[in-house]
Parts: sequence; C-alpha cells; structure tokens
Amino acid sequence: MKDFNINNEHKIDSGFKIPENYFEYFSEKVLLQINTEEPKVISIFYKKRTWISTIAAVLVIALSVTIYTKMAINTKDDSVVLENYITSQSDINQYDFVNLLDKNDIEKIKINLDLEDKNLEEVLTNSADIESYLTE
Amino acid sequence: MEEKEFIQNLLNPKTQNEAFQKLLLDYQKPLYNHIRNIIIDHDDTDDVLQNTFIKVFQNLKNFKGESKLFSWMYRIATNEAITFINKRAKQNGTTSKTLQSKIIENLEADSHFDGNAIQLKLQKAIVNLPEKQQLVFKMRYFEEIKYEEMSEILGTSVGALKASYHHAVKKIEIFMTKD
Repeated sequence: MKDFNINNEHKIDSGFKIPENYFEYFSEKVLLQINTEEPKVISIFYKKRTWISTIAAVLVIALSVTIYTKMAINTKDDSVVLENYITSQSDINQYDFVNLLDKNDIEKIKINLDLEDKNLEEVLTNSADIESYLTE
Repeated sequence: MEEKEFIQNLLNPKTQNEAFQKLLLDYQKPLYNHIRNIIIDHDDTDDVLQNTFIKVFQNLKNFKGESKLFSWMYRIATNEAITFINKRAKQNGTTSKTLQSKIIENLEADSHFDGNAIQLKLQKAIVNLPEKQQLVFKMRYFEEIKYEEMSEILGTSVGALKASYHHAVKKIEIFMTKD
C-alpha cells in the first residue's frame, strides 16, 4: 500500500458541515445576550451585604450579652442601693413601716431576746425616753 | 484601520457597539472553525462560540493591548472550548480524551458531518494523538495559523510547536497508511 504523505496529498478538509444561514443570525444572538445580561457586580454586592449582615448580627448578640450580664450584676446591688436610699432619703417613719408589716413579716423578724428581768430593768432605768415607751 | 485605533474604538463607550459588531463579523467564522475542531459537535460549538464573544465583550476593559487582539480572542476561545470538554467529560465520569474518541466514533452518524472516508479516517487518526498534539495539528493543518501566532495563543515556544506538529504528522501518516 502506498505510504500516506501529508505534504503530497491534496489538503484534506475537516468534513464538518455548518447549518445554512447559521452566521446570518449569529451576531444578533450574541448582541441580544449582551444587552440582557445582568452585571456580575450584583452578586459581589450580595456577598458584601451578606457579610455586613452577619457582622452586624454578631455585634448585636455580643452587645446584648454584655448588657444583660451588666444588668444581672446590677440587680444584686440594686436591693442594697434601694435599702440605703430608703433609710437615708425617705420620709417614711418607723410607724409607717410597722403598719406595712403583716403577720408573716412579724414572725420572720421576731427574735428571741431571752431577756432577764434585771437586764430589762437596767435598760429602762438608763433610758431617758421612758415616757415614750409607756405611751406607745 | 490600524489595530491600535480599533482597540480605542472598542474601549470607548461611544464607539464600542459599532466596533464590537465589526469584531463579531470578522471573527465569528474563524473562531467557529477553531472551536468546532476542538469540540466537534455543532450545537455545543454554537454555545461555546457565543460564550466566547460574551467573555470578550465583558473583558474588553481588561485588555491592555500587550498581545494582539487576534491572539487574545483565540486564547479565550481555546480556553472556553477546553473547559467545556473537560466539564462534559467530568459529568460523564470520563476523561476528555475518551470523550473525544467517543464523539469521533459516532461522527459518521452525525448529521453535521458530511466528510468522505479519508476525512473520517483523518479525524480518527487525530483523536489518537496526545491532546496538545491534536490541538497543534488542527491549528496548523486545518486553520493554517502561523507558528508565531500559535505561540502567542498557546503560550508555547515556536520550536516546541514545530516539534509537536512534526511528531503529530508522523503518527497520522502511519495511521492513514494502515488499512
């Protein structure tokens, strides 16, 4: 069989067929796509927006935790602060306090003095305000 | 028109549309042939060719004129075609070489192929070559692209391209001589 020599043979075409009128409408197809294509910048913006939202959410959570923690700590001090305020600033006197107490409150603050008569006598003797004890 | 002036027209928003339409007219046929030589199937070639021109349009602002417009466009077309083949091969769970061999096996039944026996045998001879050699052979033999231009497109030295073509020709001649 004769050796095939590419340089001696007539130029061999690829054999591929192109559909009729294909190139007539090709430019139109491309230009239509280009004019209706959305700019890619939208996706970049969307990604940026997602990042900003994520960072904002993390900051809000961090801030909320900090504020809540501070409030919890302050609540413990609040009762002491309130008590000091009442005792130093208030116009409420001891009679008003007593009137606000109910049976349970009285039971709670009851203490067993275990006073002997002689100790009681000593207190009464030394007290300058014995009259007020007798009238109450 | 000089290439520098034409590139200016492509970059200028006022003249861009008209210049791009001229680019489309000048390059659609050669780029079609180039992509078809890689992809073989007409419909797939149509898709890749459209994507190539869209990519060209979108990247005009990045074209610095360091290479010729011709080389730049052919580079985009080549990359798009190779990416397409690789993607299709991956989807089919095979290699690009195996996929191309399969396409050539079915070429006779392809309605967009009306080649004779010699043309069909030549396509079978080419698909047996290593992928880079296939590309070099097709660009030199079918498309008649100069080695210097091919070097710019493929990023390979002229010497390496000439050697690649020489080896491709030897293998094809052996294949074509066989029954």
